[in-house]
Amino acid sequence: MSRIIVYCGFLHDEKLELPGRGVGGSAVNVLAQERLRLLWSEVAWPFEPAGLQQKAVEFHQVVQHVFQRAAVVPFRLLSIFENVAALEKFAAENIAAFTADLERLRNYVQMESVVYVIQQRAPEQEKSGKGYLERKAEVFRLSVDHAASIRAAVQPMSDHIQVREVKSGTRIFALVRRGEEARFREVVEAVPLPESVSRRVSGPWPAAEFLSSAVKKPHGAEQP
Amino acid sequence: MPADFEPITLTGSAEEDVSLLDIIDHVLNAGVVIHGSLVISVAGVDLVYVGLNVVLTSVETALRSLKAEGRSEARSSK
Repeated sequence: MSRIIVYCGFLHDEKLELPGRGVGGSAVNVLAQERLRLLWSEVAWPFEPAGLQQKAVEFHQVVQHVFQRAAVVPFRLLSIFENVAALEKFAAENIAAFTADLERLRNYVQMESVVYVIQQRAPEQEKSGKGYLERKAEVFRLSVDHAASIRAAVQPMSDHIQVREVKSGTRIFALVRRGEEARFREVVEAVPLPESVSRRVSGPWPAAEFLSSAVKKPHGAEQP
Repeated sequence: MPADFEPITLTGSAEEDVSLLDIIDHVLNAGVVIHGSLVISVAGVDLVYVGLNVVLTSVETALRSLKAEGRSEARSSK
């Protein structure tokens, strides 16, 4: 059985060279509607979990190929369409929202910083768990404060910042002008790091956190 | 989220801070999602996920499975 996997949407640019191969070595095709372009491949479906890791990297490389040169709206790896006709219908229904987002994000990328507590074990000499729990709460407070400091530090270079608490810490997403990625890293790394707290910076990524709701959950997406 | 996977270099640039976990996280969790069409096969049995929360749970499960698989392969290759 085969299905249509969609990598990303972008605005037409005649200078843009398309990636040669997609997931599983599949051919990468382009669906064109007005200025909107959607990259897709026909792939064997469903994916086996054993190959998911490799497919994730291949999927990422296709999106990255375009994203290095232009703004993209990324699709998720496990989102598929039954056939090309279904994809064409989807594109026709969502062209306005996709085009608007791609215009808005044309010169921007998403940078991220994740702040997390370094896991600590209770000292063996601890007579009760109270001291350990108090230290744990203190370190957690330090990580929350550190995330707030990072947000404040990057605020001057980004009008759009989102913060999300996750299981292991705090993720900070910033919409940054293309070309400002290194500066973002410098700004984050200049924020003093408390003991027992760690952080990581990644990016540039496509601005997935800053897509409009109409694109994140597009019209027609409830149809299998 | 701390990286549990070894970082991999995709472009050859030492400045790249891209880990496999980051990639898997982004390609599965970030971007347009088409509800109702998310399928993953486990041991030849198709499991169909129809809700975003379930999908995210399945991603965590898939990541745990991938990590366990990696450890198993590492042991068997010694």
